[in-house]
Amino acid sequence: MRFKKICTADIGKKNCHTLAFYKKQGGYKQAAKALKKWAPDDLIEEVKASNLRGRGGAGFPTGVKWAFVPKNSKKPKYLVVNADESEPGTFKDRLIMEKNPHILLEGIIICCKAVAIEHAYIYIRGEFVFATERLQQAIDEAYKAGILGDNCLRSGIKIDVTIHRGAGAYICGEETGMLTSLEGYRGEPKLKPPFPAVEGVFGCPTVVNNVETLANLPYILEVGAKAYRSIGPEKSPGPKLFCVSGHVEKPGTFELPMGIPLRTLIDKHAGGVWKGRKLKAVIPGGTSAHVLTAAECDVAMDIDSLAAAGTMLGSAGIIVMDDSTCMVDALLNVMRFYHHESCGQCTPCREGTGWLEKIVQRIAHGEGRMEDLELIHDVCDRMLGKTICALADAAAFPAQSIVTKFSDDFVAAIENGGSPAWKKRHLSTVGGGASHG
Amino acid sequence: MARGDTPMTRWLLNGQEVENPTGMTIMEAAREHGVDIPDFCYHPGLSIAGNCRICMVESNRSPKPIIACSERIADGLEIKTDSDVAVEARNSVMEFQLINHPLDCPVCDKSGECILQDHSYTHGPDRSRFVEDKNIRHTKELGPTISIWGNRCIVCTRCVRFCDEISGTGELCVVERGDRAVVDVFPGIPIDNAMAGNTVDICPVGALISEDFKFEARVWNMDRRDSVCGGCARGCNIEVETLDGYVKRLLPRENLEVNDWWMCDHGRYGWRHLYSENRLTTARTANQELEDDSATSTLADFVSRAKKVAFLIDPFLTCEELSLIHGLSSSIPDSIVGGWLPPKGTAEQFPSGFTISSAKHPNRRGAEKIFGSKVFGKDGKDLLKALDSRKVSTLIAFCGGPAEEGPGSSWSEAIRKARKRIVFSVMDGDWLKGASLVVPATAPLEKEGTWINEDGRLQRARSCWKPGDEPFCPELVRLQQVQMACEIRTRCLSAAGVFRELAENIKAFSQHSHSDLGDGGLPLSRRRARVDSKGGTR
Repeated sequence: MRFKKICTADIGKKNCHTLAFYKKQGGYKQAAKALKKWAPDDLIEEVKASNLRGRGGAGFPTGVKWAFVPKNSKKPKYLVVNADESEPGTFKDRLIMEKNPHILLEGIIICCKAVAIEHAYIYIRGEFVFATERLQQAIDEAYKAGILGDNCLRSGIKIDVTIHRGAGAYICGEETGMLTSLEGYRGEPKLKPPFPAVEGVFGCPTVVNNVETLANLPYILEVGAKAYRSIGPEKSPGPKLFCVSGHVEKPGTFELPMGIPLRTLIDKHAGGVWKGRKLKAVIPGGTSAHVLTAAECDVAMDIDSLAAAGTMLGSAGIIVMDDSTCMVDALLNVMRFYHHESCGQCTPCREGTGWLEKIVQRIAHGEGRMEDLELIHDVCDRMLGKTICALADAAAFPAQSIVTKFSDDFVAAIENGGSPAWKKRHLSTVGGGASHG
Repeated sequence: MARGDTPMTRWLLNGQEVENPTGMTIMEAAREHGVDIPDFCYHPGLSIAGNCRICMVESNRSPKPIIACSERIADGLEIKTDSDVAVEARNSVMEFQLINHPLDCPVCDKSGECILQDHSYTHGPDRSRFVEDKNIRHTKELGPTISIWGNRCIVCTRCVRFCDEISGTGELCVVERGDRAVVDVFPGIPIDNAMAGNTVDICPVGALISEDFKFEARVWNMDRRDSVCGGCARGCNIEVETLDGYVKRLLPRENLEVNDWWMCDHGRYGWRHLYSENRLTTARTANQELEDDSATSTLADFVSRAKKVAFLIDPFLTCEELSLIHGLSSSIPDSIVGGWLPPKGTAEQFPSGFTISSAKHPNRRGAEKIFGSKVFGKDGKDLLKALDSRKVSTLIAFCGGPAEEGPGSSWSEAIRKARKRIVFSVMDGDWLKGASLVVPATAPLEKEGTWINEDGRLQRARSCWKPGDEPFCPELVRLQQVQMACEIRTRCLSAAGVFRELAENIKAFSQHSHSDLGDGGLPLSRRRARVDSKGGTR
């Protein structure tokens, strides 16, 4: 099937965020069909058949996730839309919410019909002020037009949508951390089991889906699961938003079919490595992913291909680094982030993230020891798979892969008294630095 | 499979097939089989947090180690607590716990009873690979009795969960993130609830510190005795810790029938009057101080020659002491007995079900079993009337409470109307002026004997005094010596011996003895008697 942009086709056109514009493009037709013609179970089967996989990072099959929600629960069920986009290098959900908010609302309606949900919360990153405004405008428009509310599109079905703003914590993008935060508590991930599908927000069955995942739903209903499956690789198909940042000529968000070669994405769509420099490293799926060296970049950008290459698609936040980058400084930046963002609940993550930052900082500042490289590995091993949520893993993956794949940079920083950038900065402040030490 | 009516689950623990009631957590089940899985954040009285990760074990259900405190046993589950994976996981957590911990054990009050210290000894590294600067977190007062030494905090959230779930007051919270995270209170809302002291007990490290106990003693130097709190009719099971014969700290002792794992702060800190300067420690007559021995002989002298005798008892006396008073009163014709009660305090009930009784004394029920249910009611009023109309010529009064004003103004005035008055009192006070004989009395923590709490549970209290080190003769002994002088007793018995006499004389106690009360006491009931009469085998 011919590839068509579904989220970003009309971005840049005047009033593309309004209901009038969205309806002119055929918007809410699929929602109406879902509400009036589709049976809930058929909707779940259709989404299962489409092989749609979550766009938030873990890539879990969306239809399977919906099917986990108990059908005969006496408690209310909730949809919580994960709009707490905070993985470094990721800026796709923000684009949807700012420029095409109604596609998200249509996706929400389809999901709510499929799982018999009457109330959806959009947990949005606190820093996304403009996106919140745009989304609220869209929700207001939808209520006014009878698309949301007690009688959605005159189907007799009730669906309410409420925005909840986060307060700036990365951990609240983790699904259960988000749920505790939404409940009004300190944002800390919950022990699993029970999983959110059984006992989620306020102790009720809850579906947690990413913004982009939901935005795919109208298109799946429009073209059918079979056609959708044919876009990109069959096991992780569909149109996908790729966020390219870092040392490229044209950074930005690109909507392309799943499975596009990483090289094509960088060289053709993002304009190639900037300033005529050479590629050194790419983080393909947000900073939580293992890094790829330039030689490893001949890989297709889909969930399974990247997993086979030892990394992950994650949130599709692609960070490109040119050959002037010192990987010690790059890792220090990443480690500072995870140290700052660890919620502090589990011991290995609370202590490990801080320890890693301190070790890498010491290396970058010229006080590294050769045994530190082994120590970083060991600390990462001691964090991996030992915590409630995946934040510890997310810190350990880049640390292990960057230290392994770019050990030369680390050895150089240890032997030469620090990373080049730090030396330059430090030497200029101490005036020659001859007597320092 | 079922043990009685309980469905059972078969699973494998370190290669051995074992069986436990279905629904148990791996940690609880393993402990039943003598396999101890270490913990920090787990506490049987609190919800499961699963954050410390020290209890990770290897399972056949997951490639990653799982936490034994929260995961439950299941048929076919295979758990290894000593495999390489489990040991490595534990060692990892220990290394992480210790990197930012100040290791200031030499000046830490928790040292010696610190879970981190114990686990570090068993599972921790013998040297640190951490060469960085340690984190600094706040040291501050959280409330009138509790402060936090943040550097030691391992953020297990036991204390936070306690305030949320047990006291229901919710003062504590974790502030900041990552390795800056530490326990704190909201500005202007200190931790100030009647159960606050328990947070210090359950802190697995020395992060929460009791201002009352700070720098008072090293815990390994103290003597510990299981006892019962006399602060109210609840009778919380406690441990009394003393250093050189002085009480330093009270701790709650687990008893799921009475106080779970907790005690209230009124009881916990309610022992300072023992060492007050107004404490009565020497006997005296109206005009001179007496040696302790001659106090007993003077007392015996008074009693043997007394006429128109009355006894005024209090609800602080143990069943044994009351039994001895009963023996004396029975031997004196026409003697009368009445009781006084301290004023009612406030009762408190907490969300967990823990209660503080409004009756601020430990043994009203015991006295009523021995002297009849009217002893503090009609009998007390009759005694008051008899005193007012000067029908009592010798009064023997007991005042074991902490109040310096004795049994209160109406009683104090009436007591003065007895021609001869002999008063056993814990505290000295103006109301004792003019008494014929004042005898120092033991306070609740100093008594050996039994009390019956408000639920009718018979429990053993132990004296914080070491035998032979008593600063004065306790009533238990003194009353027996008086009985011997009056020739109604041949030898002096221990508290257990006096209880045996009580069990012989008074039916309510007949099924009990000190030894079968154990550490947690028993309900005073006739249930066992009934079983026995049917030829039961118990």
